[in-house]
Amino acid sequence: MSKTPLRSALLLTAWIAAFFCLLVGGVMVYEHLTASSNDPWKSPQLLALKEKLAASPKSEPLQNEIRELDLKYRRQFRHRLALDRTGAWLLLGGAFVLVLAARKAAALNNAPPRPQRRLDDGEHSRKLASRARWSLAGVTVVVAGSLLLIRLANTSAIPGNSAVAHKAPVEDVPTLAEFQTNWPRFRGWDGSGVVAWDFKSTPAVLWHSAIPLPGHSSPIVWGDRAFVSGGTSAQRKAFCYNITNGALLWQRAIENVPGSPAKVPDVPEDTSYAAATMATDGRRVYVFFANADLAALNFDGSVAWTKYLGPLKNPYGYAASLAIWGNTLLIQLDQGENRAENSKLVSLQGASGRVLWERIRPVPASWATPIVGEAAGKMQIITLANPWAIGYTFPNGKELWRAKLLENEVVPSPILGGGFVLVVSPSSKLIALRADGAGKVAQAAAAWSTEENVPDISSPVSKSNLVFTVTSGGMATCFGINDGKKIWETNLDTEVQASPGIIGDNLIVLGQTGTLVTLQAGRDCHETSRIQIPDKFVASPAFADGHIFLRGMTNLYCLGPVANALKKP
Amino acid sequence: MFRRLKIIGALGLMLFLALIVCAEQRFPPPDFENGYQLPTTSTPAARHLWLQYGDTAVFLAALGLAVWLIYKKRSRRWLFCLSLFSLAYFGFYRRGCICPIGSPQNVVYALFNPNYAVPVTVLVFCFAPIIVALFAGRAFCAGVCPQGALQDLVLIKPIKVPLWLEHALSIIPYLFLGAGLIYAATGTGFMICRYDPFVPFFRLSGSTFILTAGALFLLIGMFIGRPYCRFLCPYGGILRVASLASKWRVRVTPDVCTQCQLCEQSCPFGAMREPTPPGTNPKWLTAERRRLGWLLVLLPVLVLVGVWAGSKLNSAASKVDPAVALYERYARQQIKPVQYSAMSPEALSLQRAAENPDATLKAARDLQHRFILACELLGGWIGLVIGLKLIALSLRQNRTDFEPDRGACVACARCFTSCPNERVRLGLMPATGEPASL
Repeated sequence: MSKTPLRSALLLTAWIAAFFCLLVGGVMVYEHLTASSNDPWKSPQLLALKEKLAASPKSEPLQNEIRELDLKYRRQFRHRLALDRTGAWLLLGGAFVLVLAARKAAALNNAPPRPQRRLDDGEHSRKLASRARWSLAGVTVVVAGSLLLIRLANTSAIPGNSAVAHKAPVEDVPTLAEFQTNWPRFRGWDGSGVVAWDFKSTPAVLWHSAIPLPGHSSPIVWGDRAFVSGGTSAQRKAFCYNITNGALLWQRAIENVPGSPAKVPDVPEDTSYAAATMATDGRRVYVFFANADLAALNFDGSVAWTKYLGPLKNPYGYAASLAIWGNTLLIQLDQGENRAENSKLVSLQGASGRVLWERIRPVPASWATPIVGEAAGKMQIITLANPWAIGYTFPNGKELWRAKLLENEVVPSPILGGGFVLVVSPSSKLIALRADGAGKVAQAAAAWSTEENVPDISSPVSKSNLVFTVTSGGMATCFGINDGKKIWETNLDTEVQASPGIIGDNLIVLGQTGTLVTLQAGRDCHETSRIQIPDKFVASPAFADGHIFLRGMTNLYCLGPVANALKKP
Repeated sequence: MFRRLKIIGALGLMLFLALIVCAEQRFPPPDFENGYQLPTTSTPAARHLWLQYGDTAVFLAALGLAVWLIYKKRSRRWLFCLSLFSLAYFGFYRRGCICPIGSPQNVVYALFNPNYAVPVTVLVFCFAPIIVALFAGRAFCAGVCPQGALQDLVLIKPIKVPLWLEHALSIIPYLFLGAGLIYAATGTGFMICRYDPFVPFFRLSGSTFILTAGALFLLIGMFIGRPYCRFLCPYGGILRVASLASKWRVRVTPDVCTQCQLCEQSCPFGAMREPTPPGTNPKWLTAERRRLGWLLVLLPVLVLVGVWAGSKLNSAASKVDPAVALYERYARQQIKPVQYSAMSPEALSLQRAAENPDATLKAARDLQHRFILACELLGGWIGLVIGLKLIALSLRQNRTDFEPDRGACVACARCFTSCPNERVRLGLMPATGEPASL
């Protein structure tokens, strides 16, 4: 078709409109790119000034300079917005002219269609329908494939979601023997406070090493390393020591935990910010503080993950220790002063920190540490708090039974022994409970109970058919585990807060003023040794690698046979 | 030809630049450190009621005018003018809201959330075009829809989409409709509105993603007529079904069809259907009946498979919901912390979640639970749509003349003046005394 003057004019109009649009668009893009460097949120100049201000927060000139620069950038930003808006309208107008001119020019250039004759014998329609069905099948496959991809790519962090379980990181877990060889949590791998190896000679301090921050948490041991935590309202840290010579290998501050408020709760000095004993699965160590900051640290001291589990309401400060079984971490987050204040038992995946499940608990704050073990033929998690002793299945956390047995502020942790769960209602009763019930079990589930010499802080310890307790006043008592009858009692002449432990045939009791008493863990009361360590002790001892580890107020101590004594590093 | 391509290229470049500069920006709040409390963000007051009724009146008038222009006046020119008015009024003046395309979501949201009452204006915008479609086809698409008008405007060199592909792609609007309605029913949001590619142009602001999508639709729309209306618009899907039962239908010729195919060539939307031969070839009859029988059996199977597949998607689908997304972000933050800027929306949301993680988790779980049924329904719906479309493609059509497909025809009136008999009627061609024929 030959060019008509009208078509030429339309094309020229379209070109002018296109040029106009490009010009306007180019200016807008240029403005956009140059102005973004003056973004008050990202401006290097402004950020540098703010850093300076952080160093000298009172500097009035600096503050004014920041204000002026901020205002300048904000004005520029508003100006750019106005320009963008004007530009958008200009662009729209230009585009409108361009489209109209181009449409008209195209219409002038189009050859009019010519009439055609098509005789459809039905074959064409049939083929068309067939193709349409196949293409519909193709679209269906694409849609189904897309949905399948979405499904496969989906991971969810919401607990109980199967997609997460599918994607959960898998890692090797140390064997049970490794857990038993080490001291991975409060009172050993099963929370019993008992190790099988023997300790014949009188223990002596091999080394002691300063702990830079205070805390009442007990030491834990894995391999050649011992770990303790310490903290104040200003800082909270985990410490790692070489157990051969007591050298402090690293210390890691737990800070900037997402969601954790800057202001920590007030915690009495008698409890400390680091009262909860750490735990380890041999791959990472886990530490929890009274401000509800939880952290997993790799063995080189680097942070694997952190999590804030608070806020926690605890009148004396949180003190229940972490429990671990395999790579599952358990935290008994009991809190508040009545029974409906968000107490819960939380299970977390050690590798990722992902919450596996949470169980709401109808109890106020407690300070006892849960244990995991086989009771009545089932793996159970046993927890204590006023008034309920509750058994949950492990690892799922379904409540198996609960018994209303406890009074007061529950501090002593439960143990398993003689086929019973041994629980202490502080200063009230020592109870042997059968853990084979279901639902709310009556007090009849208690095989026996005794009110003699019942401790209020320390946990019991059991060996063979005996169970031993030590009161805060220092009264050590031995009971028969089958009937709860007292076999012997003795006054150790020292105040005790640490839970006793058993090494082979020795009952180890650590007094608050540093008296370490060794008694024969048998039916006869016989003190085999007594040594004095010049420190104050409330944390429970750890037994590993043939040594005893004690956490004093200022030092970590390693005790062993005198022949192995080493100098302090 | 080369020049035309250059013009189109220039237009494309211009649109690309436009979407970059128009991308929505959120200005960070000032970094106050002296305890100054930022004022609470307030929501602008609703449009005055009489103005809303005014909009409704304009809408109904435009709808009525469109019907008159299509069936009485039979004028493409005036219909184009009406669509330009609708683009200006409902598009740029009303900024694409309120609009019938998203209104089914309001209705579904109200059905599942007793605390929400649908405004009368929304009901009118939702149902008036459907009622009109039941009598007079897609008059709304022809002259009242601003999205349709915008696409019509940029159509420069239409290319035919093969009919078999047109059929296959025509199920997508129903899938989008189903997804949009389940997200509305669960209270997650109005996805059909959120992903409307043209509203950001009306508002001169929007996310880069949607602006890009809108620009792509306009670029494609230069060659393929109304791509959004035909292959994505969920409301168009509803009107397509309603139009199948319409009392009146668009007729190309006022008289006898000459079967010249000029109308078919004039339709840029692939809506014209050719006549079918009379009778049925006996050699195909058995196979066609058997196929239809199998497809009827397949229909419930597809629905059940869809329900099953949908039940597996609730976790993924629920992630769009803000409550679920918040907990997901919060949980992932616990595992692998990401440092967000202070007072950024992410940081603020995490702060909110950290204040009560249990409540956040509960809200997320509740939503995920609601999505179980919703996704099963969506899966069943997808199976039903595919099954019904397969059956529709296996049914024999009887047409003696070229005529528009009732569902696919957007009643744009382009085909009217392509018909020689219509041109005779309008006096554009000399009358021969008999209807023109080949």
